Amino acid sequence: MTDWTIESLAADIRARRISAAEATDACLARIERLDPTLRAFISVDAEGARRAAKERDAELGAGRLRGPLHGVPLAYKDLCFLRGLPTSCGTRTKEYFIAERDCTAASRLAAAGAITLGKLNMAELALGAFGDNPHHGHVQNPWSVGRCAGGSSSGSGAAVAAGLALGALGTDTGGSIRMPAACCGIVGLKPTYGRVSRAGVMALSWSNDHVGPMTRTVRDAALLLRVMAGPDPDDATSSPRPVPDYLQGIARDLGGLRVGVPENYYFEGVDRAIVEAVEEVARQLARLGATRVPFRVPDPQPLVDVTGLITRAESAAIHARIAKERPHELGPVVRARLEVGFHISAHDYLQALRLRARMAREFVRRVFADVDVLVAPTVPEPAPPLVEVTGAPVGAVIARMGRFSRLTRPFNGLGLPALSLPCGFSRDGLPLGLQIAGRPFDEPTVLRVGHVYEQTAGWFTRRPALA
Amino acid sequence: MEDRRRDPSLAADLAALAGAIERWAADLALTEEPARFIAALEAGAPPTAPV
Repeated sequence: MTDWTIESLAADIRARRISAAEATDACLARIERLDPTLRAFISVDAEGARRAAKERDAELGAGRLRGPLHGVPLAYKDLCFLRGLPTSCGTRTKEYFIAERDCTAASRLAAAGAITLGKLNMAELALGAFGDNPHHGHVQNPWSVGRCAGGSSSGSGAAVAAGLALGALGTDTGGSIRMPAACCGIVGLKPTYGRVSRAGVMALSWSNDHVGPMTRTVRDAALLLRVMAGPDPDDATSSPRPVPDYLQGIARDLGGLRVGVPENYYFEGVDRAIVEAVEEVARQLARLGATRVPFRVPDPQPLVDVTGLITRAESAAIHARIAKERPHELGPVVRARLEVGFHISAHDYLQALRLRARMAREFVRRVFADVDVLVAPTVPEPAPPLVEVTGAPVGAVIARMGRFSRLTRPFNGLGLPALSLPCGFSRDGLPLGLQIAGRPFDEPTVLRVGHVYEQTAGWFTRRPALA
Repeated sequence: MEDRRRDPSLAADLAALAGAIERWAADLALTEEPARFIAALEAGAPPTAPV
């Protein structure tokens, strides 16, 4: 089962080579065996999953196919509201978040036939780059237990990498899909802002949150995106643009494509193995027909400052109640991060929103005049040991989070699509992550570059050696 | 939550954020507004993307 992809399993189920019930049981058995170590799940809905699988099999028997995910077991970061299941948002409060309805993204996946295995562990309130959690256990990296899985969608990264679920949903406010994808050696896509509805997903920052897929292959990410994306009356920020078929043309050659490799910012302070791996990606893309364009990005630091201020102000407003009434329930790092937001002035917050609009417009105009996509590392170092990011003083942990997420955060402020996928392994056997970003709503090109590289490089075929 | 504005590290964080905003907002156009972020994304989409 560890060789399954969403596409291959869905095809096998359609062809009746395996039933949805068998696939679901295989996932549940793997969760039972491995999750006591990995801590990827907060709640497992074995009964609900088995019931849904039986229903999918009965539907198939009656000639009814719900959609491209018929019978495929998926799991959801525990800030996605799903009726009947608790939503802790990584806090110690089981029912921290209750929405009026199931989150749109998950309900679209279910309508396409997906089966819900359960809810995934995450950094408390999604405020963490390493995926540790004081209430539900620190998520372990499947490639090296004792190392972090990356956050905040840490359970999503670990569950997919370990083959506990075929795919997962994550959310990304400063890199929270792409960082765990890089640490766990899987694919994670932060779509364009507004491409996937945020309705029913607990917010951390209305302006910077993105919902996206985490999968083993780029094609699987494209498939989940196609199902989830599109306008939603319950999310006023969702784009009215129609959704293309992201799988169509995904394997088209890269001839004529301009690939930018930034000469500034994105390689500063980055681990040597990662720099070399991304350099090799650039050479590989050139061999595949793309043209490498050396260029300098507009200094991302102002954008990072502006985006950080917006996130701090919005997250403090969203979580004001727990932070003010029950601060003792929160971990010290989360408490400290929320506290800054209480003291940001309305003036600075509004100026930051205005600045962000200008910066996004200028970035798109200047950068995409010269390149079609840009490639860069996702994180500056392979997954660090958990003891280093949980045992240090609060100030040191926050500073390290800032360094760890400095390559992903600019694309949240810009709202641009950004994909993380494996581009090699360190000497210690830890995955290295590549980031590909593109124009607004140009997920087709971003996914195409990712897929063509992935298929040539073949890193996606490696699996962690789990007992 | 107690008011910790006098905490030196918090005060430094806040001062750094406010300073950054003041620096970068000095030449903001009067017409600039938050909603132009969404407009920038829509306008920046490639011509081949379905509209």
